[in-house]
Amino acid sequence: MKTVKILIALVLAVCAVTVIYFAQSAKDSLPGLLETMDAQQLAAQDDKMLKARDRVTDALEEGDREKTLRNLTRYLDGFSDKLTFSDGVNRELMLFKNYPVLTAGSIFLLAIALALVVYALDKGKKFKKLALPLVLIAALYCGIYIVENITGVNSMLMTVLKKGAIYALIAVSMNLLNGFTGLFSLGQAGFMLIGAYAYAILSIPVENRAQVYQYYAGGLIQFSLPPLLSIVIAGLAAAFFAFLIGLPVLRLKSDYLAIATLGFAEIIRAVFQYEGLGPITNGSNLLRRFTVFSTALYPFAIAGVCIALITLLIHSTYGRAFKAIRDDEVAAEAMGINLFAHKQLAFVISSFFAGVGGALLAMYQTTVQAAAFTSAMTYEILLIVVIGGMGSISGSVIASFLFVAASEWWLRFLDNETMIGSFQVPLLRSGFRMVAFSAVIMAVVLFYRKGIMGDKEFSLARMIGWTRHRKEAHDER
Amino acid sequence: MGAEDFGPHFSKGTSMSDFISANLPYLLAGISVGGQYALIAIGYTMVYGILRLINFAHGDIFTVAAYCMVYMNATLPLYLSLPLTIILTVLLGFSVERIAYKPLRSAPRMSIMISAIGVSYLLQNLMWYITGGLAKQYPTLPFISNPVSIYTATTKMVTLVTPVLTLVLVVALVQLINHTKVGMAMRAVSKDFETSKLMGIKINKVISVTFIIGSFLAAVGSMLYFSNYTAVTPTAGAMPGLKAFVAAVFGGIGSIPGAVIGAFIIGIAENIIKALGLTSFSDAFTFALLIIILIFKPTGLFGEPQQEKV
Repeated sequence: MKTVKILIALVLAVCAVTVIYFAQSAKDSLPGLLETMDAQQLAAQDDKMLKARDRVTDALEEGDREKTLRNLTRYLDGFSDKLTFSDGVNRELMLFKNYPVLTAGSIFLLAIALALVVYALDKGKKFKKLALPLVLIAALYCGIYIVENITGVNSMLMTVLKKGAIYALIAVSMNLLNGFTGLFSLGQAGFMLIGAYAYAILSIPVENRAQVYQYYAGGLIQFSLPPLLSIVIAGLAAAFFAFLIGLPVLRLKSDYLAIATLGFAEIIRAVFQYEGLGPITNGSNLLRRFTVFSTALYPFAIAGVCIALITLLIHSTYGRAFKAIRDDEVAAEAMGINLFAHKQLAFVISSFFAGVGGALLAMYQTTVQAAAFTSAMTYEILLIVVIGGMGSISGSVIASFLFVAASEWWLRFLDNETMIGSFQVPLLRSGFRMVAFSAVIMAVVLFYRKGIMGDKEFSLARMIGWTRHRKEAHDER
Repeated sequence: MGAEDFGPHFSKGTSMSDFISANLPYLLAGISVGGQYALIAIGYTMVYGILRLINFAHGDIFTVAAYCMVYMNATLPLYLSLPLTIILTVLLGFSVERIAYKPLRSAPRMSIMISAIGVSYLLQNLMWYITGGLAKQYPTLPFISNPVSIYTATTKMVTLVTPVLTLVLVVALVQLINHTKVGMAMRAVSKDFETSKLMGIKINKVISVTFIIGSFLAAVGSMLYFSNYTAVTPTAGAMPGLKAFVAAVFGGIGSIPGAVIGAFIIGIAENIIKALGLTSFSDAFTFALLIIILIFKPTGLFGEPQQEKV
């Protein structure tokens, strides 16, 4: 059995590597391909065809893959009656068009192969539990890559996925405080602001600074850092501020803590808009033209790693201490847990990830302005946490995607005036979407208080167990 | 008294009167805004005293009152629109409590607070939908919108009316709480929720009365507040709402005189900051004040210390 598994894995891996090899070699083959195509089509060439072909070349030179593909399809479809290619060219064209999908699919195959090997060699059954999640995570990332290449980077689906991933990270960071440690903090928008600003300020390329800081003589900072480093610094900056503000504020009890952190976020917002800090923060003007991500895999990768780290933290001794504090402060203290140190730790870590989330949000929006980080933003994230379930990481993640999809996409039709025949549907006009949406949220808060997941986590084993249980019950009947 | 009364040899007096005439408008504005904050802050402090709930929706009820006035004043005469606005606001406050807070009475405190945030979100979106997101012109109310000049400063009548009206309403409220049956019930409930329930006090009625009084004062406050500003937007009430809450915490939450004094202090301090030319920090200052008072005297100026029970 073991050898069969390893053999299958080997075959899969070889297939995957071959496909990846061909796909990667086809990646830059278009210029050569166009020339071969030309040579074969010399007789049929006319002006229109040449123009269409030139458009492909131009887009290729710009390095815009989406545009290249669009023009290539137009060229191939528009002149299909005149174009006949040899099999070699056709195969190369297919490879060029689909190389992202092929690569992603092959990586997925590799993941399956890896999982199979782990499964086969795992004597102590230690890693068995990890194999299935590993495959699923690989499938998720490959799926995102494939969908992105099919629908285009700026499609509604990808917009929702990107924003959803970022909100998921921020919601989980807030859940760490509110759901797991029982600290009712409303300062999340403030820490996101610090993260977003730190990222934007550090990563604006030097040549763009004169333009961005046009009212402040090019600004004070005349260097720029690589994006990943800037994101980490953004998180650290938020964590540092959290450490300072936590010293006095975390000694307060529930509602007082909420209002103090809310006030802190408002102070931060005012300070970042202060003209005196203009050379650094650009005053109340937009920060823009900083490095942004070009693919949805970027926010997904960073948010995924961060959420995984938070999950590990929650399952560590620290996490158990946090939960003990949430459930009963006095008992936790009696058990020897240092209340203040643990609260401070949760606060600083949560703010670190909120800062990272803020940096990602800045990348997503491509511009940052302090005025947007109002307490309403914190309320939105808090509502996501509540809908997902206080104290459930997977709940927060699911709720983030649902929240973003519903507010940005699915409920859009409520904003448009609609006619059915000559009958105008009442109420539908700009703004109704948010009213319906907030009414749904109120219903969840009032009647479905535990949220989607309660304080449980999404678990495959339980899902499988549940379906099996249902099946057995069904069979007995 | 003019500057010339001091005579030319008294040059310090001249600068003194310059100082006063330069700063009097800010002081007047501070007192006026303080009175308006006080009217909102009472709503916060009473609800907190009884339910231990920060009613985040209170600032939005305040805004709804302003919109009621805007829409009603367009069609109805003032003697109808004024009482109708107050009645509608009171109804809103009452129904918000019945719909959003009453079902959660036995739930953890955090749930009710989240419900309050949800109501605030809903009300803001609803106002945005109804108004189309545009700023609406607030009507000019007779008498209180009239200009009046005090010493060297010119201001609106509302600046003078607000502190007087605030004090009258607060005195009336304190009388109500100290000398009527429902007031006694309120005090009992805020002292001990469970016991007063066992003693036969109709909790729900007391809470409703609290919300009605709070909304009534918010409606009055809104008329005074927006007479000073020209336009109403769906989020216009959020900031004064938060500041009024800060005032309530500052004065010691649960205490009505505390809330009033806290509101006047915050209103005046905020305008002094503006007079110093730091307008963009006037909001931040309020919250800095809040954090400072919470650190040094967590129960506020007049709050009762709470005992922690195991």
